[in-house]
Amino acid sequence: MGQQFFSFGAAFLGSAVESTEALTIVLAVGLTRGWRAPLLGTVAALVALAVLVILFGQLIVTRIPDSALKLLVGTLLLLFGLRWLHKAVLRSAGVVALHDEQRAYQNTVNQLQRATDWVGFILALKGVFLEGLEVVFIVIAVGGTGRGLPVAVAGGLLAMVVVAITGVVVRRPLARVPENTLKYAVGIILTSLGTFWAAEGMGASWPLDFVSIGGLAVIYFVASRLAVQMIRRPALA
Amino acid sequence: MNFLRAAVREVVGLFVGDWLQSVVIVVILAAGWLAVARLGAPAVVLLVLLLAGQMIWFARAEARRARKPA
Repeated sequence: MGQQFFSFGAAFLGSAVESTEALTIVLAVGLTRGWRAPLLGTVAALVALAVLVILFGQLIVTRIPDSALKLLVGTLLLLFGLRWLHKAVLRSAGVVALHDEQRAYQNTVNQLQRATDWVGFILALKGVFLEGLEVVFIVIAVGGTGRGLPVAVAGGLLAMVVVAITGVVVRRPLARVPENTLKYAVGIILTSLGTFWAAEGMGASWPLDFVSIGGLAVIYFVASRLAVQMIRRPALA
Repeated sequence: MNFLRAAVREVVGLFVGDWLQSVVIVVILAAGWLAVARLGAPAVVLLVLLLAGQMIWFARAEARRARKPA
């Protein structure tokens, strides 16, 4: 139950971040050149992504032995989570600029100024598919290992629906979504889940089972704050 | 073709930002795999500390590179 809660939360938060980026592209195309082409592109991308989830999700869950799966997915989750955490630390320390959805939106609108009609379809397809690949990975990795794929899929889908509804209501890029905070949190959760599963795949057993994921999250949070402090210090001197 | 290349770049980019850091993480995990079988729980503690430590190290290294005047 607790592990499924972690899976749902990680899939929901990770998918929300990526869905926001995809929504920015679709909104820019739709509001600039009409809705038909970008909506068709979005549907085509979502169908392709659903096929990927079904194919790889089933393949991973049914074909790979449990310990090998935990080690493999744990390693991939660690690489993925630490990458997000690394970026979030640098953004928190002011080394890298925060992602600006308003600017990303404006860049896409500028790209469309002299575009022909099919460009709207391609831009939406490409944007939703590429951002969606990250959602697919998060959902499969988070759900596949803990035998909680349905819970992770539900988290990913709910995030996409929430972001899409918000986008339709406000009809502008979701610039106020605290993307770095979300990526920071998801980076810590994915890194903790990755460490937990990788170690289980190696044959280790954790005290208190999945509750250890909370302890790992605390360790990675403290380490990341330490990194932010160490990076900021020279700038203050 | 460009779309496929972008998709492959995106998938690789999910896991690899800095190749050296990715190699270090994989080496730590490989060492952990060998150590867990022999040492048990202490190896797991060491594994977590090394993973947290490399994160601090690489974040500081990138910050130093970013601040260095061109």
